Amino acid sequence: MNDLPFHLLIFAVTGAVIVIVSAMFSEATDAAALRVVPKRILYFFFGCAVVAGVMLLLEHTLASAT
Amino acid sequence: MAQDPSKSGKPVRAGEPNLALLLTWLVPGAGHMYLGRPLIAVIGFVLIEGLYGLGVLLSDGMFLEYLPLEMRSRFAGALTPEIGNLGALIYQLKTYGYGLVAAGGQPLPRAWPATMDIGTTLTAVSGILNIFLMSRAHLDARQPVRPAGRGPGPTVAAFASWIVPGGGQILQGRVSRGVAFFVLLVSLLALGTWLAEGSNLDRERHFYYWSGQFMIGLPAIVAEYVHGHSPITGDIQYADAGVVIASVAGLLNVLGMLDAYSHSEDRLLAPDEPEEREMGVTA
Repeated sequence: MNDLPFHLLIFAVTGAVIVIVSAMFSEATDAAALRVVPKRILYFFFGCAVVAGVMLLLEHTLASAT
Repeated sequence: MAQDPSKSGKPVRAGEPNLALLLTWLVPGAGHMYLGRPLIAVIGFVLIEGLYGLGVLLSDGMFLEYLPLEMRSRFAGALTPEIGNLGALIYQLKTYGYGLVAAGGQPLPRAWPATMDIGTTLTAVSGILNIFLMSRAHLDARQPVRPAGRGPGPTVAAFASWIVPGGGQILQGRVSRGVAFFVLLVSLLALGTWLAEGSNLDRERHFYYWSGQFMIGLPAIVAEYVHGHSPITGDIQYADAGVVIASVAGLLNVLGMLDAYSHSEDRLLAPDEPEEREMGVTA
């Protein structure tokens, strides 16, 4: 876990690029794409946090070695 | 008798678009031959099959031998750029397969030819180019006569976005969007390459991830020939993350190519009010 800040930084950068590019793809104009980016970033990272939480929960309950 | 499209409101088709696409997938140029356009058919065939043939010659038909034994199957080539040129890929599978096999069924290892990397790059480029020719055949079947002065065609725009991320958008006059695609995707490729210390730039090491990364076009190809194929001398802490991120950059560029294609297609197929639609004005 020593590298957690670095891991989070990589994830934030990669996630932001994924969200911005997909917003540009789905919206016809740049202005509309820019408008939806903050909400989509919020949804994306919230969704990822939920998935990470479920994975940690399963790991600690079902996959524990002890 | 064909109707005047301006009077009937329905576009006149040169042929069945899906059939033209399928024919091109099997044999480059066959779709355009079916559409009665022999010049583009012959040029497409010679260029695309010539590239594939040269690639097979230079790589000695060994690109599928990059795959480890447990991953070799009849459909293993389906996730490679070469799948864009289906007929040639099937020919290669039938002719070269996974290389020589000993009496017990075990493969006989061979050394890669000195021109292996350039050979496999050419076969991959051939597959990608044929995808653009397929899209052109599909479009030409739907819209045989194109109004002039509407900017680059969909195929050219998508191709430009493959060669350089954002290139198609810049050709269309959407400069800020093109620059954004370029900066975001090339930065992501650079981040992945930095994390993987360049180990992602090698098809032999990462056969399928390389295919995704290849979709970013020239930046990945140039990086590979400048920085790739270097020996790994120690543990690379973020190798896996780097390989995945570089591959994601390439796959995101597919969205950029589709964005460029659909923008030009919209202008072409509904050319009456392009300016209003671009500005987001609705009736």
